[in-house]
Amino acid sequence: MDKYFINTGTVTKASMARDTLRRNGINTYVLSARGNISAAGCGFGIVVAGGALEKAKALLQTAKIGIMGITRAN
Amino acid sequence: MVYLDNAATGGKKPERVIKAVENALRNHSANPGRSGHKASLGAGNILYQCRKKAAEFFGAESPDTVCFTSGCTAALNMAMKGLLKKGDHLVISSMEHNAVVRPAHALERMGVGLSVAQVVAGDAEATVRAFREAIRPETRVIVCTHSSNVTGEIMPIYHLGRLCRERNIILVVDAAQTAGVIPINMAEMGIHILCAAPHKGLLAPMGLGLLISRVPIPFTVLEGGTGSLSLSPDMPETLPDRIESGTLNLPAVAGLSAALDHLGTVGTEGIYRKELKLIDTAYVGLAKNPKVELYTPRPEEGQHTPVLSFNIKGIPSADTAAALGERGIAVRGGLHCAPFAHRCIGTADRGTVRVSTSYFNTHRDIAYLLAAVNDITKRA
Repeated sequence: MDKYFINTGTVTKASMARDTLRRNGINTYVLSARGNISAAGCGFGIVVAGGALEKAKALLQTAKIGIMGITRAN
Repeated sequence: MVYLDNAATGGKKPERVIKAVENALRNHSANPGRSGHKASLGAGNILYQCRKKAAEFFGAESPDTVCFTSGCTAALNMAMKGLLKKGDHLVISSMEHNAVVRPAHALERMGVGLSVAQVVAGDAEATVRAFREAIRPETRVIVCTHSSNVTGEIMPIYHLGRLCRERNIILVVDAAQTAGVIPINMAEMGIHILCAAPHKGLLAPMGLGLLISRVPIPFTVLEGGTGSLSLSPDMPETLPDRIESGTLNLPAVAGLSAALDHLGTVGTEGIYRKELKLIDTAYVGLAKNPKVELYTPRPEEGQHTPVLSFNIKGIPSADTAAALGERGIAVRGGLHCAPFAHRCIGTADRGTVRVSTSYFNTHRDIAYLLAAVNDITKRA
């Protein structure tokens, strides 16, 4: 199953994103950014299953948690 | 020792706070928000859980508005210097601690206008009027202590919040003496930035401050690594990273987290009533001694925090404090880093002896204090 890494920048924002998604039934966890260093530099984010990606994006937008990038996590 | 210097720092911490600090040092000694390994993420989660609890405790919008600093003084400096620039105007109260007075004067030297609103003891309306009259078109920030660390008088923050909303001014509150002692709800009280000293009424360890902000902070006082946006030479725009450069005091944060659990379990209202009852007993006892001078009316719930100042006629405050120290009682004499407040009550030349209770004090402690004061006055 595809997994996606949603980069939120800071570990605090990642933790808030995790709580927001879990409250809405989406399984997720906090992870440091993988792969090449992004344009923003180091950072943290959360991992979600591909099937939950669109819902996760919408929930984070509603919660005003900025998304700095989305990459495949697997 | 009978410890009655809780306005300086909480003399006794709950057992669960001590255990949380020990657990953090033993089992979570990793740098939070930096590395991606399990230990670092675990440490990051300790910070986050504390941010969540603090946000809820103080009626803040969200966990990311809660910033950890090295202390309340650092938080106040970051708030004041982070908001004001040359040409702006600042209003502070006449009861401020040097943690506000000194950064205010440093800002004045940089071209920020400064006015001092005279607090009228026991008259909230007159105090708010003094603030209103001090406001100019360029006033950007009002900084006010929530309660005097000398007299224990609670300031009319709710009314100042309303005034600031009307005039589009940012209200910064120094809650060093009130956080954990009396309820604070930033949203309801109209507080934009709350600065707190967790080692006092919150019963957490020293070496930690809280800056909780509902507004952006344009200027930074401290720059450095945050573990985020590291390619940029500038500090991140968003809180808490904008404020938090360098490695945080994780054991103290773990202690604060446990302290917030403790306060949630015991209930701050019960704690406040007990502390105020103790200070009231001290006040009534001291008032019976004709050689004792008191500077405030009898403490009242909602009007005072558990702090009182007194002097023994003819004896400098430092000497009385020392004499009490020799009898095993810890109190603080002098100016309490608050010369403005002492000018207000007419004690700038000799200071006062300050008594401040905590949840852990007993009526026996107060009886011991009163007996010791009587003994000192008899020998004077």
